[in-house]
Amino acid sequence: MAEKHKPAPMVEEVSEFEVLEIAVRELAIEKGLFTAEDHQRWTEYMHTLGPLPAARLVAKAWLDPEFKKLAVEDGVKASLEVGIDWVNSMPTHFGTPSDYCNLRVLEDTPKLKHVVVCTLCSCYPRPILGQSPEWYRTPNYRRRLVRWPRQVLAEFGLQLPDDVEVRVEDSNQKSRFIVLPVRPEGTEGWSEDQLAEIVTRDCLIGVATPKPGKTANDPRPVRPAVNPYHH
Amino acid sequence: MSSSVRHKVMKHLEIVKQLQPSLHYETHAPAPDQIDNEHYRAYTRMSHDVGGEPDVPITWEEKEEEVWEHNTFVTCEVLAWRGVWNAEERRRRQNVDVGQTQYLGLPYYGRWLLTAARILVDKQYITVTELSDKIDEVRKRYE
Repeated sequence: MAEKHKPAPMVEEVSEFEVLEIAVRELAIEKGLFTAEDHQRWTEYMHTLGPLPAARLVAKAWLDPEFKKLAVEDGVKASLEVGIDWVNSMPTHFGTPSDYCNLRVLEDTPKLKHVVVCTLCSCYPRPILGQSPEWYRTPNYRRRLVRWPRQVLAEFGLQLPDDVEVRVEDSNQKSRFIVLPVRPEGTEGWSEDQLAEIVTRDCLIGVATPKPGKTANDPRPVRPAVNPYHH
Repeated sequence: MSSSVRHKVMKHLEIVKQLQPSLHYETHAPAPDQIDNEHYRAYTRMSHDVGGEPDVPITWEEKEEEVWEHNTFVTCEVLAWRGVWNAEERRRRQNVDVGQTQYLGLPYYGRWLLTAARILVDKQYITVTELSDKIDEVRKRYE
């Protein structure tokens, strides 16, 4: 009977991942490898990241042929104009510790569609595009995109005519990519802000194309977290 | 991709997929003449090099991030910021050293996390005992 009146546990069973994460972080701090403040500063830096700077870079390139030329020739230099410094970025001041500072901007044409993958891991232009989506990291996407790009793009809702060439760009440790899609019809006279709104994360990876009125990625199922991190 | 390259890739993948369950072959520590170059390539292939492997369509999902996943990412980045490891060794440890079973079987950040624990031990910043004591202590907080 006493069993019945036992208070419910405060938390569900903690996962081994949660335990190990706390253990590793606390040990690293206790040993002086980094400080709790370092960890906090990095978290705050993560909060500043997202696809907006890359969307703005595309919008600028659509409006200004000279800037488009610069973006295609030197993505790192062009990024400065949307507030992203790949070489001296915060909070390290020496760029990202994952050791890459080469951004390539892949220009689509009506007959050429680019799409980005990282077959070897999950390389992604984080400073200008934020964290990669889960599907981008899956072995499935990485396996199939390089071999059946049209089929995979169709699964994302992007049906390409046969006369459009598909070029899959495989990221690597040193080089990261974003797609500069074709400016869609129906956006004549739009401002940079208006244009940037339709350049979604998926457009920048290359699995979608911008459309007037479409300001979000296609809806997909969201796998909920057991103990979600609130950004 | 030219058809001859395609043929080579297909053949390579065909051999690779037979390696894991090949216990019924007499291939354990074979003599050099028992391994041809194609098998050598298959055995020395990195398991994270998945581009082109056959797979079936899945539902593309977005995902909420767990607290431990976010913290693991940040810990790994900050360890690099403070010079504990560099990008090359992170990649080798997270993608290669974990082995194929863990590479494919664990969550994405699960691999990162195990690797972060191992780097601290391997570089003698902590002992295995310190790690296991800490794990026990953390677990007790939740009991």
